[in-house]
Amino acid sequence: MTDIAIKVDHLSKTFRLQTERRNSIKEMFVRGKATGVHDFHALRDVSFEVPRGSTFGLVGHNGSGKSTLLKILAGVYRPSAGQVLVDGRVSALLELGAGFHGELTGRENVYLNGAILGLSKKQIDRSIDQIIDFAGIGEFIDSPVKVYSSGMYVRLGFSVAVTLDPEILIVDEIIAVGDEEFQRKCFDHLFELRRRGTTIVLVTHSLTLAAELCDQGIWLDHGRPQALGDVADVIDGYLLDVNARESASRAEAEAAGGEQVGAGAVVAPPVPRQGSGEIRMTKVTLHDAAGAEVGFVTPGEECTVRVHYRSAQSLREVGFGLAFIHESGITVAGPNSMQDDRRYDIEPGEGFVDFYSDSLPLQPGAFNISTAIVDKGHTYDYSDRETELRVRADHAVREPGLTRMLGRWSAEPSTPVRGRA
Amino acid sequence: MPIWRQWNLISNFSRRDLKAKFNGTLLGWAWSLVVPLATLAIYTLVFSVVFRMVPPPMGNGNDGVFVVWLFCGLVLWSYFSSCVNGGIGALLGSGPLLQKIYFPAYAPVLGAGLAVGIQSLIELGILAIVLVILLNVSWTWLLVPFVLALFVIFTGSVATIVAVMNVYYRDLAHLVSVALQLLFYLTPIIYNPDIVPESWNGIPLRAIVELSPLSQFVGLFRAVIYDLTAGDLGSWVAVAIWTLVALGGAMLVMKRRGGDLSEAL
Repeated sequence: MTDIAIKVDHLSKTFRLQTERRNSIKEMFVRGKATGVHDFHALRDVSFEVPRGSTFGLVGHNGSGKSTLLKILAGVYRPSAGQVLVDGRVSALLELGAGFHGELTGRENVYLNGAILGLSKKQIDRSIDQIIDFAGIGEFIDSPVKVYSSGMYVRLGFSVAVTLDPEILIVDEIIAVGDEEFQRKCFDHLFELRRRGTTIVLVTHSLTLAAELCDQGIWLDHGRPQALGDVADVIDGYLLDVNARESASRAEAEAAGGEQVGAGAVVAPPVPRQGSGEIRMTKVTLHDAAGAEVGFVTPGEECTVRVHYRSAQSLREVGFGLAFIHESGITVAGPNSMQDDRRYDIEPGEGFVDFYSDSLPLQPGAFNISTAIVDKGHTYDYSDRETELRVRADHAVREPGLTRMLGRWSAEPSTPVRGRA
Repeated sequence: MPIWRQWNLISNFSRRDLKAKFNGTLLGWAWSLVVPLATLAIYTLVFSVVFRMVPPPMGNGNDGVFVVWLFCGLVLWSYFSSCVNGGIGALLGSGPLLQKIYFPAYAPVLGAGLAVGIQSLIELGILAIVLVILLNVSWTWLLVPFVLALFVIFTGSVATIVAVMNVYYRDLAHLVSVALQLLFYLTPIIYNPDIVPESWNGIPLRAIVELSPLSQFVGLFRAVIYDLTAGDLGSWVAVAIWTLVALGGAMLVMKRRGGDLSEAL
């Protein structure tokens, strides 16, 4: 039993929802027993074990029961059926700075929060300097927390929870706080805690983080466990499901929207464009290896970006350009047909030009495509980020960055890659 | 988890309550003396000067002093009513916290009670000084801690029961404010129980007044600190039984209703 930190056995949680709550005595007398009661099953028959010192991830859609499960582990809710055994002192990070009182100073709040987490004054005395140091809020520690910025508030909350040396740490989606520097500190600290043997249960929508940090995981869907085991397998299963759903909903939206476009086909561009307008891009479509139109593309797979146009005249030596722009505003790449000595003679009417990559070098994320149709310094048409490009992986991606840099690694240490250097 | 393991949490809650209460006020801690002394002055003016209430003689044989006699009862009463009201507020106030982190529901209630208790201790100190000045001191003062200990347990239990049940039935808070008023006049704090008629329209009024738990506590406390007697055995037994009943009730309520509070808050 000692090597299992958390054991969840056929756990179910049911919330009683009442359309009208009777929580006053008068209502109970006057209107009788509540009607319209129905049960909401937040968790159904969930079982898993978390070995001591390992990190366990919970993934799933919003409303899949992840937070309810965390609250049961933290002891806030009681299970409706089944058993939960948690062996060790739990520190729950369900909300940062939840126990802070605005009138008290940061230091006083640390003691209050520590007491709520079940620590004695002595234990907090030992850690207080480390907490203040980690939070990095300087002399503000002796000011009332009501004057703190929201960033300082959550930083202090995080410091308290992780620095008080928890045996089991329960973390809800809260890492996305503070500035870049503090986020890195948080991640480093989570890794450090893991290395020291703290058992961590983690809910995160960052699958990359989950893949990096967790050993095992569970995927919940409407309270039911869908997959349990090695975190990479769990995430792969979850991603396949998400991708399938997104494709389906996009296809639906396309089917619904397609009719409208056909009915009121307009020659003028839908949004103001730059350029003289003899030729206009009408739409951009994405195609997979088989040539089928797709709603999103996958890193490393074959991919075609098809630029459809409509031209009012005959044009000679027209060049096409694309720009792939990440949602953060960074232009990742800008392939241009003239760079490859491709110029097209265009006839009036509709047509398309393809850009094909045999291995898409983009990492998962949200990108936009800008298109340009030009002729030696003259712009016919330029669309600024009109087309969305979603890059979705079907497995967890562990590499940072916006693009996957193609290349090769040494086969052995101290050996150049064959035929080079 | 036994209750003394929660001591650190309870004392932190009370420190929070005290600091939050007096931060930002000009007089700060002085308010915890100004308010009860003003109440004392008002009651003395109304009941001693206007209504000519005559206090019983002191234990040292001197004539009774109404304001001192009233103070003995008022200290206990204000502790009781502030604990019950404060406990309701404290538990509702910790609602958002209780939904995030587990801790026993009685901790904020007792924390609020502890904060009130510290103020009551100051009042008790003043009362003791006044009695010493009046030379009304005896060995029976040694019994005071026992009366107060029972009273603190009794009050904490009642406050816990009311605060927890109020989460499920929110109109309890309104009911409590009415009940406290009734209880205040039902308890011989501002009047001598001897002036209550034996029976009124067939209702045994005197018995109701004398048997109510707060009357027992107030009576016993006055006996040991003002009358300088050990109090009769019947009162001690009654007080102990009331305390046990309240404590048992609080434990039952915590066990049956305490676990699902986070869902009801």
